[in-house]
Amino acid sequence: MGLFSKALTLPKSIATTTLTLTEAPLPNRVILPLRQYIGEPAKTCVSVGDRVKVGQLIATADSHNTLPLHATISGKVAGITEHLYHTGIRLPAIIIEADGADSWIGPKAQEDREPLSPDEMIERIHGAGLILKGLHPIPLARDLSPVDQPKTHLALTGRRVVKRTDTLLIAALDPEPSLGINRYHAQRENDQLAHGIAALKAITGAQRTVFVVDRTQPPFPQLIEMVAKDEEEATRIISLDGTRFPVGLPIPLIKAALGREVALPYGHPRDVGVALYDIDTTISIGGSVKSQIPQVETLITVGGGALAQRGIVRIRIGVEIGALIEALGGFSQEPAKMILGGPMMGMAQYDLTVPIGKEISGLFALRADEIGRSKDYRQCISCGLCVKVCPVNLIPGLLSLYCARDRFDAAERERLLSCIECGCCDYVCPSQRPMVHLFRHAKHQLLET
Amino acid sequence: MQSTSCLKLETGNWKGITNKESCMETTNYIVSMSPHVRGGNTIERMMATFILGLLPTCLVGIYLFGMRALSVIVLSVASAVIVESVIEKLTNQRLTYRDLHAILTGFLLALILPPSVPWWIPVIGAGVAITLGKMVFGGLGTYPFNPVLVAWVVVKLSWAERMSLFFEPHTTNQVLTPLMAVKEDPALLYSYDILPLLLGDKAGPIGTVCALAVLVGGIFILYRGVIRWHIPISFLCGVALFSFVLRSINPDLYPPVTFHLISGGVLLGAFFLAPEPVTSPVTPKGMLAFGFLAGTLTMIIRMWGAEPDGTFYAILIMNAATPLFNYLKPRAYGRGKGA
Repeated sequence: MGLFSKALTLPKSIATTTLTLTEAPLPNRVILPLRQYIGEPAKTCVSVGDRVKVGQLIATADSHNTLPLHATISGKVAGITEHLYHTGIRLPAIIIEADGADSWIGPKAQEDREPLSPDEMIERIHGAGLILKGLHPIPLARDLSPVDQPKTHLALTGRRVVKRTDTLLIAALDPEPSLGINRYHAQRENDQLAHGIAALKAITGAQRTVFVVDRTQPPFPQLIEMVAKDEEEATRIISLDGTRFPVGLPIPLIKAALGREVALPYGHPRDVGVALYDIDTTISIGGSVKSQIPQVETLITVGGGALAQRGIVRIRIGVEIGALIEALGGFSQEPAKMILGGPMMGMAQYDLTVPIGKEISGLFALRADEIGRSKDYRQCISCGLCVKVCPVNLIPGLLSLYCARDRFDAAERERLLSCIECGCCDYVCPSQRPMVHLFRHAKHQLLET
Repeated sequence: MQSTSCLKLETGNWKGITNKESCMETTNYIVSMSPHVRGGNTIERMMATFILGLLPTCLVGIYLFGMRALSVIVLSVASAVIVESVIEKLTNQRLTYRDLHAILTGFLLALILPPSVPWWIPVIGAGVAITLGKMVFGGLGTYPFNPVLVAWVVVKLSWAERMSLFFEPHTTNQVLTPLMAVKEDPALLYSYDILPLLLGDKAGPIGTVCALAVLVGGIFILYRGVIRWHIPISFLCGVALFSFVLRSINPDLYPPVTFHLISGGVLLGAFFLAPEPVTSPVTPKGMLAFGFLAGTLTMIIRMWGAEPDGTFYAILIMNAATPLFNYLKPRAYGRGKGA
């Protein structure tokens, strides 16, 4: 913690990630829930016993509120039952057992009809089953669909406005320093990136492109070349210190890179003219628009002191946690906590048969000594450290007192709903108060009633 | 349950626990909300840093005033810990001496007492600090006034004579503190040099005589992040600005800025008493206003009050206004200027 700065510097043991790619072996079975987020479940179009190939559509989506599902391994549909998902709820899921052949469906007939209209691009993105990662993942197509309705919640102006999107912000740093997928992509050539950026520009209507990169990383030849090649000088690179948290989260990122503030709690980056997508998503968009590849693989960051192998791993979507860890060499030390997502904002898991879904960006197995939480928490001593680190300028200590005493209305007046649940206040609290836990509980109570 | 098999992945039997059998109660993994890592910041660590920051002051105090100072410190710390533990035992609470707050309270109280006090004043003072200052409100985190200052005011008002006896360093000659002397006769100001004041060659409470030692400790705790710069800086600014204005009006009557900054309890107050976490505001603007007004109030009491040094009273009075200063909130992100 610096004297004047807001963001946290996480300890090296957590914040450093080895950016080497490992291909995970094919899993023996995958579990693909019909619904990954709040929304309608997809409709199955296979039945138990059917043989499927990689990339084959196995569940269809009617609207942009639902994601279509594709088989991620070739084999036999072993069951369509309820299965535990990492969110802690049981969801109907298609379970596929591998035949080991890994045979793909043939490539779609390439009608290179140029250029595609934005609507067609969105349909292709939706058809590939892309999801927007984040605290509340939603189908990417739904996020990309034009914002034509004026929004009343723009408290910054108070007027009903439709803001034109002028800037495409491509995040080449990760939401958490522990995660490394975007930084991994930023340093490597990828043909799909240019396609993805072109598609995003066409869809959003953004005129300029801004890459946000991690200052502490080695240079990014591909991005620099893209800036150099852009004759209209509408492409820029902004570097931020990506080893600090929460620099990489959408809300602080837009503020730090462009100085714009998204209205909280219900605002969207588009409201301030920004289309923010990370480089990983952009590459997937490029792939889906150009060659209509359904998303069957994803990169995740694997880390934590209990694991034998750490780094970036390419996995098939739907592989179970336990199977993946086993394939990667198992545990080197006894794990105390299993996390899907990053150590700061991920979800603790208790069951190793939970599948790793599309919206997951990391798998961490932490040792007991890495967690560092005592069993009990104490009275707030109003030291103000939480106020210092809060990226959205709340008074977390006061909020936690309100939430702990069930005074949810008072907490709402203190702008509880603006909280982005980054966990910085929790991280620094000397009284070890479970801030995020209290806030989520209060938010749930407020939004349910 | 078979959940233990979760841990033996090497043997490949993690499937032994099927999806339906597992539940949060039977798992071997910790399940809790994010964040899953913590900064390792604890109350113990904060208090220990405070105490470390006070060490130079303590050592210099013991060097200057010998065994008397040492006995005041030991008695104060010991009675604070004992009184707290006894109260917690009587009221069936968990013992909290391990959070070091009682020790810190004892240290701070001893440092603002004159070295001449009889043995029972630190004992009573520490007892008052812990009972009336801290425990009646519910312990650490709840009290509205700095317990150290509550105790100081109680003993000061109860035994005013004994609390105004100050020794010359290394001796037991009774002398006036620089502030008392200047208050009586402004002409005496010229008998004080900056360097002796800074190094501690003067009379005064144990912990306030050596300004340099306090400053070193204060910068240490500032650097370690247990206090923030807002309160010390704005406090000192308040004192400096006020004394600068007075000095500009009449240099013969009013002492210079440096004299005010390094004499009396100003530095100890600015770094250790005013930024005390529980009783000071949490918002940056609130802290700035709190510190500045406390500094100004210190000067008002020094100039026109009955007391030679107003630091401790000023901080205590500003403590009462801390909830008000907490209304000076930072502008919430994404809510516009007025929202």
